[in-house]
Amino acid sequence: MNASANALFVEHVSKSYPLDGLDRLVLKDINFSVGHNEILGIVGASGCGKSTLLRLIVGLDTEYRGSITRSNAGDPGKRVGMVFQDHRLYPWLTVEANVGLALDTSPLSARQKHEKIGHYLHLVGLSDFAKAYPRQLSGGMAQRAAIARALAQEPDILLMDEPFGALDSILRMRLQDELLAIWERNQVSIVIVTHDVEEALYLGDRVIVMEPNPGRIRDIVTVDLPRPRDRASLDIADLKKRCLSMLM
Amino acid sequence: MSTFEVDLHLSLPGKASNGQSAAPRARRLVATAVVVALAPLLLLLFWWLSAARGWVSPQVLPQPAWVWQTFVDLVVSGDIIAAAAISFRRIAEGFLLGATSGFLFGLLIGTSRSADAYLGPTFRALAAIPSLGWLPILILILGIEETLKIVILAKACFVPMAISTADGARNIPAKLSDVADVLGIRRSTRFFRLTIPAMAPFLASGIRLSLSQAFVSLIVVEMLAGSDGLGYLMVWGRTLFQLDIVIVGMIVVGTVGFLLDLLLRRMEKAIVRGASAHG
Repeated sequence: MNASANALFVEHVSKSYPLDGLDRLVLKDINFSVGHNEILGIVGASGCGKSTLLRLIVGLDTEYRGSITRSNAGDPGKRVGMVFQDHRLYPWLTVEANVGLALDTSPLSARQKHEKIGHYLHLVGLSDFAKAYPRQLSGGMAQRAAIARALAQEPDILLMDEPFGALDSILRMRLQDELLAIWERNQVSIVIVTHDVEEALYLGDRVIVMEPNPGRIRDIVTVDLPRPRDRASLDIADLKKRCLSMLM
Repeated sequence: MSTFEVDLHLSLPGKASNGQSAAPRARRLVATAVVVALAPLLLLLFWWLSAARGWVSPQVLPQPAWVWQTFVDLVVSGDIIAAAAISFRRIAEGFLLGATSGFLFGLLIGTSRSADAYLGPTFRALAAIPSLGWLPILILILGIEETLKIVILAKACFVPMAISTADGARNIPAKLSDVADVLGIRRSTRFFRLTIPAMAPFLASGIRLSLSQAFVSLIVVEMLAGSDGLGYLMVWGRTLFQLDIVIVGMIVVGTVGFLLDLLLRRMEKAIVRGASAHG
């Protein structure tokens, strides 16, 4: 992968929190890049700083050492999107209005925005629930609405922080397939943090394995398998064994 | 006996979930009215007894019938309506001024940590002084005219509104703020779609507290420095030793205050329900 094909560079990033008067290192010298249209999985034990890393990339936290650069940083139309583990829909807005927040700064006309909202709701299978309030949705539907909201800002990089972690395993597999279908139709790089190794291997082109105290990269595993992948295949099982041996 | 109790328990949820809740609801409303009215009725009975038996001199505690007659006279002559109109206009002006500035100030100290550090302690110290503690010095500065009353009322509204607003601003869920940051929404959108809805329950209780504070301060300030309004009517009655007028004033103020509080509680509930449900 050559440099120009990369959407995101993370170089020598370290992050520490003050704790009891001492600086506690949570991320130590993190280096990786994300290619255009690549899906990058990040797995690791809890406390290895995976979520912190995403907060740094998306810009919610700006205090760190090292550099995080995007190839499209100069283009104001290209943003970093983020899906959290909990849906974080605004409870007082309809699904439609929640997705509409993503188009707040867009120069489109009201009608075009409405069409775009409809498009993304259709993409996640929520067309019939545009006027519903978040409390009327099931957990899986709410998470799909959150994904639609993140996609509606048409980011070139989509960060996902354990997006399916709170869902049951059947629903999780369905949403993984839906995510892949959406990814194939949109030009987007995805960084997905998960504690589920199989999920990372099923989705990712590469998987970063992190280890805690302080959070650092143990290895980067390339998943050189064609899609659609078979979750039960020997290749996946081998890679899973390799990742798990590093995690345990 | 025990089987009957079990039956009752089993039938209750069924009834509530069916559409036939109109009759029980009416019955419950009547029951509530009886409970609420019981204490005033007993008080009235006691008052009537003490007047009829001559326990207290009629100059100090006139009979209920006289008081009712005075009330009717005051309504017919328009005196009480005029007094009430003046008092409510003062409340409206004071509330508008005090609650608006309280809201803005609360927003300032609730959202800016440095503003809170500079202004918060002073505000809390000044807020601890009751409105009436301000009266002597404000009379010297502002005289005893309309300005004084409006300022006292505005101050009475300012404090609870500012405290509630600041609490509300500090309680905007950080997770929802993160979403606004990630999506990069405009400041105005953030204000109307996140800040205000998230603060709605706090604002509602701020408004309710402000109005009840305003009401209390109004009567006192009219009694101490006034020439019209409900409070003045009561002072005037006492000066003439017409305690019936004083009692009419007390009952009107109490009733209006009660109804106002009831109305605002309803509004608060509706807003809170709206905010948690859809908004």
